Amino acid sequence: MSKSIRQSQSTLHTWSGLLLGWVLFLVFLTGTIAFWREALNRYMRPELARIEQPMRVLDGAQRFLGRKAPDAKGWFIAMPNAAMPGAQVTWQPQPKKGEHGGRRGGGGRGRRDNQALIGADGMPKHARDTRGGEFFYRFHFDLYYLPVIWSRWLVGVAAVMMLVAILTGIVTHKKIFRDFFALRRHKGQRSWLDGHNATAVLALPFHLMITYTGIVTLMALLMPWATVANYADETRMFADLFPEAPVVERTGRPAPILSLSAIAQDAERRLGGPIGTIQVSEPGDAAARVTFYRTPASLLNTRAPAITYDGTTATPVWRSPAPGGAAATAGVMIGLHAGRFADLLLRWLYFLCGIAGTLMVASGLVLWTVKRREKLPDPTRPHVGFRMVERFNVAVIGGFPLGIAGLFWANRLLPVAMPDRSRWEVHVLFLVWGAAFIPSLVGRPAKVWTILFGLTGAALAALPIYNLLNTRWNAWTSLLAGDLLPLGIDATMIVFAIAFLWLARRVARYRPAVRATRRARAAAIPMSEMEVMA
Amino acid sequence: MTWLAFALSLLAFACFGFATDDHHHRLTGRRLAPDSKLRWQAYAWFALMGAFGTAVASRGWAFGPVLWLGAVMLSAGIVFLSLNLRPQRGRGTRQ
Repeated sequence: MSKSIRQSQSTLHTWSGLLLGWVLFLVFLTGTIAFWREALNRYMRPELARIEQPMRVLDGAQRFLGRKAPDAKGWFIAMPNAAMPGAQVTWQPQPKKGEHGGRRGGGGRGRRDNQALIGADGMPKHARDTRGGEFFYRFHFDLYYLPVIWSRWLVGVAAVMMLVAILTGIVTHKKIFRDFFALRRHKGQRSWLDGHNATAVLALPFHLMITYTGIVTLMALLMPWATVANYADETRMFADLFPEAPVVERTGRPAPILSLSAIAQDAERRLGGPIGTIQVSEPGDAAARVTFYRTPASLLNTRAPAITYDGTTATPVWRSPAPGGAAATAGVMIGLHAGRFADLLLRWLYFLCGIAGTLMVASGLVLWTVKRREKLPDPTRPHVGFRMVERFNVAVIGGFPLGIAGLFWANRLLPVAMPDRSRWEVHVLFLVWGAAFIPSLVGRPAKVWTILFGLTGAALAALPIYNLLNTRWNAWTSLLAGDLLPLGIDATMIVFAIAFLWLARRVARYRPAVRATRRARAAAIPMSEMEVMA
Repeated sequence: MTWLAFALSLLAFACFGFATDDHHHRLTGRRLAPDSKLRWQAYAWFALMGAFGTAVASRGWAFGPVLWLGAVMLSAGIVFLSLNLRPQRGRGTRQ
């Protein structure tokens, strides 16, 4: 009886892992990189100086908005910190009668015209047009090119499969706790299995947490019934979930708005922590309101409390109510998932665990082929399903990291004046990945693994060198200025470059054992990628 | 305090590792007696609990357990790699 249960779990584990395994690999990898979202935002705009005094930047943002959009409907300011390239400000013009979202066909375009980046000296800055770390963050759940709603369903279903795979995996690989420290090296399939188990079990609390909370972030999409049953009107649900100060009408009487940085200091005291975002409605009017949100970087709950001030008298007029039990639970789970609270130490732990998860998915996918190869009737001519999995593994696990390296290079090399530059950076990722697909599908897997890993390693290794020669903020200048972020990212790139080059070398040098039996020999020939991880 | 939590959980997993038959044999050349295995594991659990207390004391009830889990995973990883990735004698890979 127990055997049959374990077998059924094993089947479920295999197929729930395989079917959307490639999507999971993309999601895990980009999500892992997205833990450095803000750091990459800065790294990919190397022309900007580091923020030293956030309040000075806030003053600059207020001066800029006061000049640029004195009678806007609202301003929105994201408070900067040392990890950010500057303060992102957005303004919303007063709606005019009969106007539908600005110029023809340009909803997004119009929004882009209404935003600016305020640099460390309080002046607006023109950095290269890039999405920076935001790309990895959005891709993690929205993918790219696909309609957002499809992507979220796909990612949501993949996340549920992941949870199934993790839970059934614990049953299937029941020895993982007993053989906790076992890694049998140079033993083919056994080594792959140990490697897969090690990446899974060593970071098992993280994998369970990140998958479960990941599903929680998409819960309203995956299981809409609770909201449908309780809220006929969606706007009322949002009002309950994200309470806001009562909306004010414009009076038409102009009144200067007080210094935001002065009110911000009072708000930080009242909220008990640093400010994350500031929203000003009806600036320059007697009815102006200023709302400060505490940054989720200091809270486990991602839904941060807020306080609203009268903009002309600086007296508090509204405070967000304490969140209910359910909202707080969801907020804490999303906070755990995104790790916004994490300081540098915890952020590195999140990153390392994410890498373990990515390796777990990748080794699981490769293990599928490793386990089946020996059972093939004729290993020199595997059946079409086997070939497909084998080649998709090369294309996705080998190709996508190369695409990411391509994105980083595009960020450095594309001309600054290029129209739609930020989009082209992303196009480069997919062009490189698409190019990697072709040899993956037609070439000999062992060879293509080597080429793709080798290229990725070389591209990542060359990037810090390029930075040293051509970029204002590089490892050297960052060391001199005591600003370790660019140095840290360059060093991380080199570590990954070494890892990829080592993988490439392992695959290239692998010579399968020549044994006497026909079965073993035949099994070993196309297996070159097998012992890479061992 | 944060580093003490890391040190304690590292110690805990070193004890766990030392209490596994294969690694114990490889490290000491001796077989592991059942009662000394239990003793090592008891040390490990004590150290893990100590690490939890230290983590909560340093980061509070919200972030302390998160830090503790992180420390546990990192230490497990470090011990795992150092037990397994030592050079192995007489085990050439290239045939």
